Amino acid sequence: MDSASAPFDSALFPEGVKRCKFKWFLFWLAVLHGPLMVGVIAMLMCWGLALHVTYLNNNYPFGLWIAADLGIIALGAGAFFTGFLRYIVNIEELKNIVNYAVVIGVVCYAAAQGILGVDIGQPLRGWFIFWHANVHSMLTEVAFCITCYFMVLCIEYFPLILENRQINKLRFFHGMAHHLHGAMPTIAAVGVFLSFFHQGSLGGVPGVLYGRPFAYREGFLVWPWTFFLFILSAIACGPCFTILVTWITEKCAGKRLVKRNVIDILAKISGRLLVLYLVLKTLDTVYWVAIAGKAGAPLSSFYANQPFGYWVLITELGILGVIPAIILLNAKARQNENILIIACILNCTGIFMNRWIMTVQALAVPVMSFDKFISYRPNWVEYASTLMFVWLGAVVIMLSYRYLPIFPQEKELNPS
Amino acid sequence: MKLDRRTFIELAVGFSAGAGGGFMLTPVNWKLMDDMTIWSQELWPRYQLGGLKGRLPQQGKVTHADSVCNLCPGGCGITVRKVGDRATKIEGREGYPVNDGGICPLGAAGLQLLYGPWRIPSPLKRIGKRGSGNFEKISWDEAINKVVQKLGNLRQKGQSHTVACILGSDEGTVPRLFDRFLAAYGSPNFIRTASAEDTYELALGLMQGTTGSVGYDLERANFILSFGSGLIEGWGSPVRVIQAHSTWRSGDLKDRATVVQIEPRLSNTAAKADNWYPINPGTEAALALGLAHVIIKESLYNVDFIGKHTFGFEDWSDSSGKTYMGFKRLVRTEYTPEAVSKITGLPAKKILTLARAFAKAKRPVAVWGRGKGTVSGSLYECMAVHALNALTGNINKPGGVSARPQVATRSWPEVERDATAWSGSRRPRIDGAGSNRYPLTRYLPDRWSQVMNGGKAGAIQALLVHGADPYYTTLDSAAVAKAFEAIPFVVSFSTCLDETAYHADLILPNHHYLERWEDIPTPVGLQKPILGMLKPVVSPQFDTRHAGDVLMTIAKSMGGSVASAFPWDDYETLLKETMGDNWGTLEKAGYIVNEGYKPSAWSKAFGTPSGKFEFYITAFDQAGVKIGKDVGYLPHYEPVQPEGNPATYPLILIPTELMRLADGAVGNPPFCTKTLEETELKKNDLFVEVNPKTAADYGLSEGHHAMLETAKGKAKVLVHLFEGIMPGVIGIPKGLGHAAYDDYLAGKGVSANSLIGVVEDPVTGLSAAWGVRAKLTRV
Amino acid sequence: MKEVHHKADEHHGAHEKTYKYGMVVDLDKCTGCGACMVACMAENNLSFRKDNSDRLRSNLWMRVYKISNGRPFPDTDISFIPRPCQHCEGEGHHHTPCVSVCPATATDYSHETGIVSQVYTRCFGCRYCMAACPYHVRVFNWWDPTWPKGMEKYLNPDVSVRMRGVVEKCSFCYHRYQRAKNKAYAEGRRELHEDEYQTACTQACPAGAITFGDLKNPEHKVHKLKKSRYAFRLLEKLGTNPKIYYVSTRDWGRKAGEVYAGEEPKGVTHVTHA
Repeated sequence: MDSASAPFDSALFPEGVKRCKFKWFLFWLAVLHGPLMVGVIAMLMCWGLALHVTYLNNNYPFGLWIAADLGIIALGAGAFFTGFLRYIVNIEELKNIVNYAVVIGVVCYAAAQGILGVDIGQPLRGWFIFWHANVHSMLTEVAFCITCYFMVLCIEYFPLILENRQINKLRFFHGMAHHLHGAMPTIAAVGVFLSFFHQGSLGGVPGVLYGRPFAYREGFLVWPWTFFLFILSAIACGPCFTILVTWITEKCAGKRLVKRNVIDILAKISGRLLVLYLVLKTLDTVYWVAIAGKAGAPLSSFYANQPFGYWVLITELGILGVIPAIILLNAKARQNENILIIACILNCTGIFMNRWIMTVQALAVPVMSFDKFISYRPNWVEYASTLMFVWLGAVVIMLSYRYLPIFPQEKELNPS
Repeated sequence: MKLDRRTFIELAVGFSAGAGGGFMLTPVNWKLMDDMTIWSQELWPRYQLGGLKGRLPQQGKVTHADSVCNLCPGGCGITVRKVGDRATKIEGREGYPVNDGGICPLGAAGLQLLYGPWRIPSPLKRIGKRGSGNFEKISWDEAINKVVQKLGNLRQKGQSHTVACILGSDEGTVPRLFDRFLAAYGSPNFIRTASAEDTYELALGLMQGTTGSVGYDLERANFILSFGSGLIEGWGSPVRVIQAHSTWRSGDLKDRATVVQIEPRLSNTAAKADNWYPINPGTEAALALGLAHVIIKESLYNVDFIGKHTFGFEDWSDSSGKTYMGFKRLVRTEYTPEAVSKITGLPAKKILTLARAFAKAKRPVAVWGRGKGTVSGSLYECMAVHALNALTGNINKPGGVSARPQVATRSWPEVERDATAWSGSRRPRIDGAGSNRYPLTRYLPDRWSQVMNGGKAGAIQALLVHGADPYYTTLDSAAVAKAFEAIPFVVSFSTCLDETAYHADLILPNHHYLERWEDIPTPVGLQKPILGMLKPVVSPQFDTRHAGDVLMTIAKSMGGSVASAFPWDDYETLLKETMGDNWGTLEKAGYIVNEGYKPSAWSKAFGTPSGKFEFYITAFDQAGVKIGKDVGYLPHYEPVQPEGNPATYPLILIPTELMRLADGAVGNPPFCTKTLEETELKKNDLFVEVNPKTAADYGLSEGHHAMLETAKGKAKVLVHLFEGIMPGVIGIPKGLGHAAYDDYLAGKGVSANSLIGVVEDPVTGLSAAWGVRAKLTRV
Repeated sequence: MKEVHHKADEHHGAHEKTYKYGMVVDLDKCTGCGACMVACMAENNLSFRKDNSDRLRSNLWMRVYKISNGRPFPDTDISFIPRPCQHCEGEGHHHTPCVSVCPATATDYSHETGIVSQVYTRCFGCRYCMAACPYHVRVFNWWDPTWPKGMEKYLNPDVSVRMRGVVEKCSFCYHRYQRAKNKAYAEGRRELHEDEYQTACTQACPAGAITFGDLKNPEHKVHKLKKSRYAFRLLEKLGTNPKIYYVSTRDWGRKAGEVYAGEEPKGVTHVTHA
């Protein structure tokens, strides 16, 4: 490498790969900081002026934030599930994407916690959820598992940092990274256990609300059916999200980073799980209609008020469920990158929509006969503070991509 | 360079890790976490309360003090819970003869008026333009001097008759002090603000020959026929009537009382009633006479009463042999169910059923006074309704109507007037009450401003206002504002910065009702005489003085016969003296009730020229009222035309009154405003009620902004679609549209009084307006 | 889960008198005057704002709903439903809807009184309980509660003022229970009389429409009143087991207790709080 043309921070790059000029890197970082700052302002407004700055209200104690939280956690499921496939099911090829899945996971879980930190009315006392924990609450389960799993993710992310070319030169860190790699199957197993529970308990959050027939589900022991459906839907879309983010990264980097066969494995697994999910979700829907009807809430009452008409049900399960499932199951369709990406987008949107429905629509549907239907849309404060974590995630990914050896196949795919 | 960077990174990482790790091992972070929590739990909220500025409420011994509520003419007993010196809660007083423990929303919010930011902290003098709200604090001496000087000058110039007083009541020691002051000073212009009492007192005087206000024995009535009275919406003494309503709703279904509401709009009273008969607005008198027709035709009336104790029921002839038409013939010929159906819009069959049910009921009572009874109304309408009570003979009977006296108090010595006082007092009143045109009427509260604007701009040179807010409550706000503008000297005795105070030149703030002594006469509509006593519950919060004391100081400073008319040391002395033997009981128990009071027997009840209940009003001729036509001596239906040209204003606007919205002299406190429905007030915009059919005609839907326009003014409002209002009619809640008070009330909505003008009753001159023509356009 | 209650009852029963406080509201008598709401605000130090017209952000513990039979003029009818916290007991495997979901144990069901409590200093404002409550009895402090200068003087020292960012709701005036209990204990009694403990709204109601007492004590008025053939509860079918009973002799009025069954589909209605 000609030292004159190499970026000035090239000594920190992974071995044998090319990165853009530092000034361009800085430029894009600066660009991201624009919306990021807007998000910071929104966040400070929430903390400084209290939550009346949002469009949330007593009818909608949950809004975009909680829906986004549930959605982000579902999308972040790619991390634990890829880890599970790589280290426990032992699908060797996945080692080429598992690093990136971890990075995405870290971003997602950090975002989820960050959003909660804005959403709660008394962030200074947020730790009461641990201190005064109520074991009956699904949210307690979520909080404990997410926090623990976030630590696991950090431990999984940590060796990647240690593998930075310069840090890795230090023998201590080199050895540490090596040992951590050895422990990875165990860590992954712990992560999988925790993830199953918090994905599930997130499903339990709306599922236990028996005062709201729209959300309420019966279930198994203390877990409503949504508990299991949330796990399943999360692992059905998590890999798709990993594919999607990898694809975006490749587009930004202007080169291939992961081999197609690796992507295809994830896509195939995702497709199969999605089918299974759709089958169970359909059964659940039928059963739900019966149960809610018995409580006096006909199906039509759930979809009587726009914007929550029947189109919601059709879009969620049909357009954003069945269509991506068909594509993902079809090997030929998967081979076509554009079609694959469309399927991934549909799949991820579908899950996100499901989380929105289970939180926001669940609150929108009137329960008392004399309740007046009121709709909700988030305001800029909510959007900005939520999207802030997307921009923040992009920054983390940019830094990770530039300085850490995330993609083992990059060098092979892009010979210099 | 490379080495440096590496060293730097190593050092930085090492230092950060060390510092972070070290910090986590110290108790500092735990302490910080704890501190943050306490900050969020205690310090910040306390700061919000103003605690850090020394405003934290004090703890103290819990005590209870009894008094009476003075926020409306309801006169409920209250018990105030105190913590140390602070009053913390107002509750209804258990066992009080008016309200037995119950309280209304306004009464329960009274402490917000006591401690609220709209209190007037000390005497204020206007600086800058009137209505700009700029005042300057002055001392009591200076304030009183100003009044003395001004009134002294006027008196000297022989203009004492240009001084007027407007009060909310003419009973009780304080209103009587003002009356006395005018008598000694030399002005006839004592004006009482409008209420249905104005008309009812006249109707009772004419038909029964009695003085005193109407009393309804609602608790024992078992068929209540209400002609638009908001029985459970603040009519009469609100809590007492609501309690009576609960009595009607108690017991087995079949034994319960029947309530029938006549009103073009489904008010709460109409909704709670057993039957709601919407009729064309303003046609109540016709319906009453239609019912009378059926009752008479089917001989369902009380033969004993009608035969022995009434005059003018049948045709009669005088000594000269001239025959006069009686009530019976008038009603039989003019008010057949079919004819009445045409006027009122109510099917004839319903008129028949209602009349029979009413007449056959054991203890029926017909109730009059629109809404809360805050407007005067039409005399003939009142008489027509009262005639129903006569037909069923339930006058001075259990469950009926009577003219109720007050608890007797000691009279004061005659005022010794000097020449100025005599000549001033004999001048005609500004409002025309008692004149040849309106000889019967005592006060014309909605008329004085019209007179002033009609070419007598200098008629009032000084105006004293106490216990009333005429600037706000008088119909036709624009005319009132114009008249006020023409008065050079306006003095308000108000406790709060109400509209009148806001437009006054001088404010001499009275103590709040929880800070002072004052006697409260019998609550409006009650059937037995009661005297309640306001007692100071807390010490005065501001530099205020009792209006009675202030007035006496003014009088004494004026010297001469004005001063000598007030021989008492101070108001408390006067109060004790006036209450006489009752003082001990009043001081201790807080009230006196004449439990044994019974209205007189029929044979002795009527002080009319005939000594009987008069359907034919002979007193008209005696008093010199010009009646013109024969039918005018009888209760009859004379349409009160709402103001406005039907072509320009195709709709009818009627005011509606809400229990949760005070619309009188007291501004709505924040707690009450908070209870308003989201279909009544949205931000600063007021909703008007429109039937969906009417709304469709004008392309309006729920929540649309619209321009509401009448001959008197226009205002931007929001539209609320309400199936319960008659098509073609718009309902506007009374009580908003204040410019004074503060941000908790000012600027919200529009005042109904700014859209509705005065329609003079031909006999009394009082406003008989029940609404106004209007148009509604989308904006 | 079902056993939880019984165990708790037994546990208390040994040395503590237990109650099941509830209300019967006579909708025939309720005039919708709003005195209960104001009495509640005054008793419980509820804050208010210059503009309170947004019911979605308003902090009413007691809210009187105005309901209509939906029929056109002149067959229209309206009725009022005062709605405090329903103090749900839950039944079967269902615990009180809000209590079981609170992650920080900031709300609890008292087996001594049957009252659902709310600890403002422990609540951290996640609002999950609000999502769980189908009655909208729980309100959030979207602002810092403040009082105009001077008005803090009327604050009731028995009820703490809340802070921003926490959920609050009707407590059945629990401080009045404590006060009454202290008094009884001081007098050597272990049991409260019916009239010793009454909520502020019950006491204020000019119509006497609200009756409050121990639902399981046959000597208390509520015990008999709740058995009226015209009695119903809100959302009974969901199994929340609320302790507020309503009595209405109007057939359409009793339907208010049913679960929302949908209406004609409507256009989009968005709410903003700008």
